[in-house]
Amino acid sequence: MHSRFYLSVMLISALFVMAYLGLTGYHALMPEWKQYQAEFKDTLVKNAKSEAAKKKAMAMPLGFTQVYLSDLKREDRCVNCHAGEDNPLMATAKLPFKQHSGNYLVNHPIDKYGCTVCHEGQSFATNKKEAHGLGHEQTHWDHPLLPLKYAQSACVQCHDIAMLSKNGGEKVAQGEALFKEKGCRGCHKVDGVGGDLGKALDGVGYQPIAYFPMKHVAGEHTVYNWLKQHFDDPRAIVPESAMKVKLTPEEVDLLTTYVLSFRPDEAPRKYRRIDYTSMMAKPDGETLYKMYCVACHADGTKSLYNEVFKRTVPAITNPSFLKTIDDKNLEAIIKEGRTGTQMTAWNKTASGLSDEQVSGLIGYLASKRPAGPMETFGLAAFKGDSKHGSEIYEARCSVCHGKEGKAGEDYLGISLRSPVIQKKIDPEMLAVTIANGRAQTPMPAFVKDTELLTKQDVADVVSFIKEIPVAGK
Amino acid sequence: MNETSGVSKFIENVKSLADSVTGSIFRGGKPDTDKARASVVYNNFFMHIQSVKTHVNTLRPSYTLGLGLIVFFLFAFVFTSGIFLMVYYNPSIENAFRSVKNINHVVFAGKVIRNVHKWTGEGMIVFLFLHMARVFFTGSYKSGREFNWLVGIVLLILTFMLNLSGYLLPWDQLSYWAMVIVSNIMMSPKELTDSLGITKFLDVGTMTTDFVFAGLTPGKEALNRVYLFHVMLFPIAISIFVGIHFWRIRKDGGMTRPEEFTPKDSDKSYAPMSDKVGGIFPTHKTYGLMELATGKTRAVDRDVENTVMSWPNLLIAELAVLMFTLAFALIYSYYVDAPLKEMANPLIPENPAKAPWYFLGLQELLSYSAFMGGVGLPTAALIGLALIPYLDREQDKVGVWFTNKMGKRIALESFIISIICIIGMLVFAIKFGWLRSWFPDIPQLVITIVNPGSIWVAFMILWSLFTIKRTGSTRMGAMALFVMFLVSYVILTYFATEMRGPNWGFYWSKSQWPIH
Repeated sequence: MHSRFYLSVMLISALFVMAYLGLTGYHALMPEWKQYQAEFKDTLVKNAKSEAAKKKAMAMPLGFTQVYLSDLKREDRCVNCHAGEDNPLMATAKLPFKQHSGNYLVNHPIDKYGCTVCHEGQSFATNKKEAHGLGHEQTHWDHPLLPLKYAQSACVQCHDIAMLSKNGGEKVAQGEALFKEKGCRGCHKVDGVGGDLGKALDGVGYQPIAYFPMKHVAGEHTVYNWLKQHFDDPRAIVPESAMKVKLTPEEVDLLTTYVLSFRPDEAPRKYRRIDYTSMMAKPDGETLYKMYCVACHADGTKSLYNEVFKRTVPAITNPSFLKTIDDKNLEAIIKEGRTGTQMTAWNKTASGLSDEQVSGLIGYLASKRPAGPMETFGLAAFKGDSKHGSEIYEARCSVCHGKEGKAGEDYLGISLRSPVIQKKIDPEMLAVTIANGRAQTPMPAFVKDTELLTKQDVADVVSFIKEIPVAGK
Repeated sequence: MNETSGVSKFIENVKSLADSVTGSIFRGGKPDTDKARASVVYNNFFMHIQSVKTHVNTLRPSYTLGLGLIVFFLFAFVFTSGIFLMVYYNPSIENAFRSVKNINHVVFAGKVIRNVHKWTGEGMIVFLFLHMARVFFTGSYKSGREFNWLVGIVLLILTFMLNLSGYLLPWDQLSYWAMVIVSNIMMSPKELTDSLGITKFLDVGTMTTDFVFAGLTPGKEALNRVYLFHVMLFPIAISIFVGIHFWRIRKDGGMTRPEEFTPKDSDKSYAPMSDKVGGIFPTHKTYGLMELATGKTRAVDRDVENTVMSWPNLLIAELAVLMFTLAFALIYSYYVDAPLKEMANPLIPENPAKAPWYFLGLQELLSYSAFMGGVGLPTAALIGLALIPYLDREQDKVGVWFTNKMGKRIALESFIISIICIIGMLVFAIKFGWLRSWFPDIPQLVITIVNPGSIWVAFMILWSLFTIKRTGSTRMGAMALFVMFLVSYVILTYFATEMRGPNWGFYWSKSQWPIH
């Protein structure tokens, strides 16, 4: 050979080629999982109690395994490293060889259920980083390994809450109870039923990470971290959020667990063990009140100024309120909502709530009404003069209810332009409210005890209010 | 019969098996003489495409830089690794992504081989441009090599297509949304046909997109079609055109070299010099084919001075390039993984959705005018490149880098001017917007014709004409044009890769992107 230059380029390059072919070959022959398996085998041999067990352990071949689950459309390769999951000898071993905790595997054998159906992670992957799927920027995996405290969210795929609450799914069951108790559905729809202030939550626990605004999430960008930190402080995660929560750290974890169980797809039929009859139970009025009303109205005995809504939320179980409003007017307000406020129209089309459930709610509210006759005004006896009414309105009412009833932000009163007030509510009720005021709210009494107006004045104001144009929704 | 001699003959044959097999492959045995060395080359199917003797200039690493060979070897690696991947890949939307995941995780050395396939494929584009620049700056598209330059342009297009068609196959978010962008690029003639009002009669955009993607967005049929293009059409076409390209190099007289060539001392380290003087085919000799052929081939009257035997001098150089390329590809692929994002989801648009990097310059132009960026300007660029050897027919100083001192000056000057102008143009377009932001009701046709991209191309052409007028040399004009083309390709690609964020807005770096 003659050319030294080319010869040396060739030989040096060839050395590199051989070195990197060697490295590639080494990694191909000795992947990460095989090293774990080798270590597992050593542990097995060391822990063997009898000579026969030792022999058996020593004969264990190292090799690739996977659990192929055709119905669940996945092949779980976790067992390549987590080799001792169903081996009692590994009860005290270190991870990843440790035996599965609890008795979950008795009814959920690995060869039928695999691992990722409960624990998530990337079932294709064969190295730790990608199998656990954390670090979305690198692994691009939407469902990384679920922390154990949230693992029960997976049970809901196949089991009903009633069964889970007594059989190892306590956390998710408590989360479900909390979800009802805190009135989450007052703003969020689930299965088409609920308020419309927040986003519908169907499938939200299993959505791709790209659906969540992760900018302000600290730590790993995962759905569970988003949910947890969002429960801690909604506006820290979504600045424009109107969500109101006050939860203890334990409650945050329980709710996160439950919300993670909202999935878009059902488990295959043969995996499901859901007793649907337990879900058919009809909630009573009080439960309904908690599910749909409590988030804004709390227990309803006092009116509350809501910092986020920048308005006062009426006290709806307040006896003085209930004494002025009969069931028919209640139904009108509940079903039509209050235009211009956050009050959702709780009728079938807008909220998914059935008529029966609305009557349940009204029944619950009515039960709080004090005994004795309703407060009355006797409006029929008066003939209203709307011109005089408008003068009184400007002087007395517009401070809180705005010019021509157009209340809004920074006004204490409600809008009087809402179709409910204009069309559905009995004028008699308006008159009673003006005359007697609304205890525990900023609405003062104008006749009762104060004599600020005469009864005729009240009738005039009512007729003026009825002439205010209706706001379109 | 004589059995013993039969058996001993057989044993003899077994003993000499190695020699006879080698001898049957390399007829003529070990090449000890020049004659034998010559016959090694022309008796071998794979080597006869090379000439028996090679000019020393060709062997200088500073002349060719081995770039063309590197592209060829990269293609060979793409081809080999591609066959490997083809075994495991499944072109259906249910399984494509899974099969790529499995290649990464389960197949023996699958990840490295996929990386090799990806990076050598994209490396082809990089080195193809470098090779083209080498050929251009040494004036090697002249003196009979005009057609081969055209073949090279065809190979450039085919290489783009080969890469692009492979981009869709993993069926992940990256590839899916890149393909959506590409289908938008294919739809771009619609902008022109719409403004001319002829879309009804001749909807070129929809027709092409429909043909390639079986619909206007990539779906399951698209995957099938693109897969066929990727593994059948483009590789076969490239193989054929590479054959023509190589064959023409021989027929056009081998690599270019300067007219006055004086060997330097350093040449001796690349090849031993021969003292032989005289033409290979002296003019006074006649050959039978003279009666049929007109004109003369390139070798006639050429001296054999400064040429050396191809075996082993050229062979060792080629092997060195092969090994170097292989080492480079392997090392790069060992450390850098080919991207694979989430499985394709038509409901989650990537923002910004970007085309593969080699088309990002086009996407940037596309943001000014769909037709110009998608069809007009790339066509103009390709036609311009293809016409270079026909519009610049000066034949002196072929084989000399940058022709002469003036050439170096013009190249540097165009380099600086194009950098300043194109950056200035981008800054202007970002800071002040374009016609649409000043006159919202302006007809689209005006923007199609007058936009930063077309103004830039017009400027390049005018500048090149101005250079021709100034220097009195078409070669200098071509030089200015080519430098500006390269600079704009690089800068636009870099700009669109690094500084374009969500909604194609401008950001200094990716860290400033608003997170969805």
